[in-house]
Amino acid sequence: MSSQIIPGPGGTGPGAASPHAPSAANSIRMVRLLGTVSLMCGLLIVVTNLATKDRIQSNQETITRESVAELLPGISKQVTYGVEPSGELKVLTGATGEGKKFFAGYDGSGKLVGVVIEAGERGYADVISALYSYSPATQTIIGFKVVDMRETPGLGDRIKSDIPFLANFKNLDAKVENGKEVHNITTVKHGTKKNAWEIDAISGATISSRAVGRMLHKSVEDVTPVILKNLDRIERGN
Amino acid sequence: MLRDKQPVTITADTHPFLNGLWKQNPVFVMVLGMCPTLAITNSVKNAISMGLATTFVMVASYGMISAIRKLIPKQVRIATFIAIIACGVTVVDFLVKAISIPVYQALGAYIPLIVSNCLTLERAEAYAGKQPVVKSMLDGLGMGLGFALALTCLGMVREVLGAGTFLGFPVFGSRFEPWVLFLLPPGGFISLAMWLLFFAWRKERAAKLAAAEATQ
Repeated sequence: MSSQIIPGPGGTGPGAASPHAPSAANSIRMVRLLGTVSLMCGLLIVVTNLATKDRIQSNQETITRESVAELLPGISKQVTYGVEPSGELKVLTGATGEGKKFFAGYDGSGKLVGVVIEAGERGYADVISALYSYSPATQTIIGFKVVDMRETPGLGDRIKSDIPFLANFKNLDAKVENGKEVHNITTVKHGTKKNAWEIDAISGATISSRAVGRMLHKSVEDVTPVILKNLDRIERGN
Repeated sequence: MLRDKQPVTITADTHPFLNGLWKQNPVFVMVLGMCPTLAITNSVKNAISMGLATTFVMVASYGMISAIRKLIPKQVRIATFIAIIACGVTVVDFLVKAISIPVYQALGAYIPLIVSNCLTLERAEAYAGKQPVVKSMLDGLGMGLGFALALTCLGMVREVLGAGTFLGFPVFGSRFEPWVLFLLPPGGFISLAMWLLFFAWRKERAAKLAAAEATQ
């Protein structure tokens, strides 16, 4: 945008400025007005941010907690663990925030039911973020839920709701040895799933289905060794 | 995004609220703000949310613009309008997040894009920058709700045909095969064209009827 807007012929804009090029006094007036407007707008934004911050955080927290409870039916207690870059575990107070983390779910008697792990991977359009539940006892994935995505409506977005596709994640082999999967989780063409570590793709949504496979493979190799190493501690819930 | 349009003339007998809602409906009559109209109308819920968010931005920012209209030097009026509208959009962004995260996720990138919706700037330039506060806010309300109405019309066609649901509730039996095309971008253009055709047909029919009456 040019620094100086020449008014068009017969222009009838607001204000009482002269139709000629701005004079020095005029320039000061413009700077003063724009400065004041920006300052006031900035203040308004800061006030709104402060007023809504807690509410937004608790909203995000509720959504995450509900998703975890949905993926691990029957749990009555949740503990959030953060994974430090060194591989150490840390109990977190909130369910939101940056960094790698997972949620352990316990039933009424305090027994570990499973853990829910956050994962993300580039799909057909933007990153697909998801949660999946993992059972350390059997080393399998037992549930999967898309949290956020921009996949094509009617095609790729079926990874969220397609019942046969979601059935892939009822008992998906995710065995890990020495930090590597014994059988890599892979997405196979629709109708050709033979093994417990394969995901049957949705026909017409191959790219999104493959992204889910890659996401789970990466995340399983990344997070589950830490869980298995610290399983005693997670079972105690501290 | 601003196009060289004929300035919209406001006749004295039109109420600023009804003007935007119907007579000069931003989408069906003025054909402004096409980006969100086509992009966000794949479900009724998204369409209504987007319409209401835009309405809020327009009412709040037009009130402010109109209140300081006599202080704004002509040379920087567009910059001032944009600063005020952008501020309103940021506030809405926070509020939507605080009200409902799922709605926020659905609207995604389109909330910040209210700033670049040519409708918001066009009304600031054509109306709020020249008219008193209450009238400007009424104009914003009318235009915003007119926009919401138009978006809902499009969203209705696209959701019912494209997903077989209305506001998430199934409207057809389980044997209905959804026309996915209507959820995809071409469906937006097709639905918009159908609505514009409908309004053009109505207008033409009204003109014919009036002409027939005049000759009698």
